[in-house]
Amino acid sequence: MPHELWITGLFNQYFAGPAISIMNLSHLKVEDAAHPWSNWMVCELLVTAFIVVLFGYLRARLSVENPGKTQHTFELAYEFFKASAEDMIGHDGQRYLPFFGTIFIFILFLNLIGLIPFLESPTMYTMVPFGMAVVTFVFYHFAGIREHGFGYIKQFMGPILLLTPLMLPIELISNLARPLSLTVRLWANMFAGDTVFMTFLSLTKLLLPVIFIGLHFFVSFVQAYIFMLLAMVYVGAAVSHEH
Amino acid sequence: MKNKMMLLAGTMMALATPIFAQTGGDAGDANRRGAAYIAVGIASGLCGLGQGRATASAAEAMARNPGAIAAIRVSLILGLVFIESVALYALVVTYIAK
Repeated sequence: MPHELWITGLFNQYFAGPAISIMNLSHLKVEDAAHPWSNWMVCELLVTAFIVVLFGYLRARLSVENPGKTQHTFELAYEFFKASAEDMIGHDGQRYLPFFGTIFIFILFLNLIGLIPFLESPTMYTMVPFGMAVVTFVFYHFAGIREHGFGYIKQFMGPILLLTPLMLPIELISNLARPLSLTVRLWANMFAGDTVFMTFLSLTKLLLPVIFIGLHFFVSFVQAYIFMLLAMVYVGAAVSHEH
Repeated sequence: MKNKMMLLAGTMMALATPIFAQTGGDAGDANRRGAAYIAVGIASGLCGLGQGRATASAAEAMARNPGAIAAIRVSLILGLVFIESVALYALVVTYIAK
């Protein structure tokens, strides 16, 4: 059992029962009945609650005449997602925008929550990025099948029929490697950021580690952006039409 | 340049063979781990070279044609990401080899 954050301790104290019954419902083995909650689950729930509250508040106060600072910020973000999606996918990009926006904002907040003392980034554990990568994987295949129907398989067969035996395995493997690379990229960057910070903290104790917090802040944005960009590239490749 | 590369490749091969030649219980495990670490080192180093080249040419292109900065930036980031995944695959291999 790794160290437990105070908030995980609270969850384990008060919500252990529901967690165990949910795990029993889905036939998962409960490894430690006293501590069914892990840090990343609790932080993820925390981020989810924060996002729901933030956007609930934002939605309630949307106004054209008198937009507040928060509204301006998120309108800017929306414009940015829209421009990126149109760059990568084309005119259809708008259709898939909700997914990309969700991915970006969720991952960004998951990364940034690690900057708050006594909390940690859930993306430091492989399960969280893997969940997101699997969702992306399913989503872009779903988008491709919706766009092309059964003809979606043509995307895997290469430009001419003669090359199909060669292209099919290559395409299948590269598609299956995508969740892996998405997972490892996000996880490794977050984990490395935290490790570097802890190492320098144990070396110098004062001031110098702050630089790495700045670095972590920057990397959080870049990784969220890259995750969104790759999701866009994959969706764009899946829904593209052959010329 | 070419001679240097040949020297590097030769050194790597000369070092790699004794690592794989040894067998035995714990020692074999340690050797496999060592080989994995060398592999991730080589992969990261070469990825660094590749990323450096990509960034250098992107910076050059941006300086020559500031109007195309947005398009260049996106393709630069995509390129860096795909180069980086090679190093990440090597990292995964070290975890498997452990």
